[in-house]
Amino acid sequence: MKLAIFLSDWRRTEESFERLKADKMGVILVGNGIYHAVVKENGKDSPVLSKAGANYFVLADDLTTRGFTAAQVNSKVKIVSYGDIVDLIMNDYEKTAWL
Amino acid sequence: MGDLTLGVFPSLVGSMSLDFAFKLAEAGIAKGHTVNLWLSGNAVMMAKKGQKQFKDYSHNEKLMKELMGKGMLVTVCEACAEARGYHKEDVPEGMKRASMDWYLAKTVKTDKLLHIGGE
Repeated sequence: MKLAIFLSDWRRTEESFERLKADKMGVILVGNGIYHAVVKENGKDSPVLSKAGANYFVLADDLTTRGFTAAQVNSKVKIVSYGDIVDLIMNDYEKTAWL
Repeated sequence: MGDLTLGVFPSLVGSMSLDFAFKLAEAGIAKGHTVNLWLSGNAVMMAKKGQKQFKDYSHNEKLMKELMGKGMLVTVCEACAEARGYHKEDVPEGMKRASMDWYLAKTVKTDKLLHIGGE
């Protein structure tokens, strides 16, 4: 299964996220979930970014709303627009999950 | 082009997930998709016409009307609305009310579904 997971929070959802498995997984960081793409703790990336084989995306609007720039985004994460997210849902993934 | 259904179950007024849903719906329509919006829980705040826009305050009624004019189907949970005192006469023109059965049927028929939770 090709699964797109929307992470919309900075805390709370990691345990559910870790349990999810898919043949192809995309992780779309929106809302306060964008902090996973830009914040390091003790010099380390968010554990969310360590899912093997996953592709990571972050919504540009939610980055700029929170005062971040593209230069601050982790290199594992691709910055996307709302239109790009529509394409991911409609073309690249079979199912979606919102955490 | 496909059929995209968004189920929205947000928290209170000013909900980020409700704003997100409308912006994603706008992008979906711009790409030629059919967009269905199911508003449940506190998202039924949209089932009250005549909302006033304030500066720096979440306001989706204008965008919702624009998107409905472009074909977006908006259906609100009837029970959620009535529980909050939003009655049939309060509903903006073109918006439908239905039971959860409508949404459940749509989740099966639609090409793609994004069920957006609260925050």
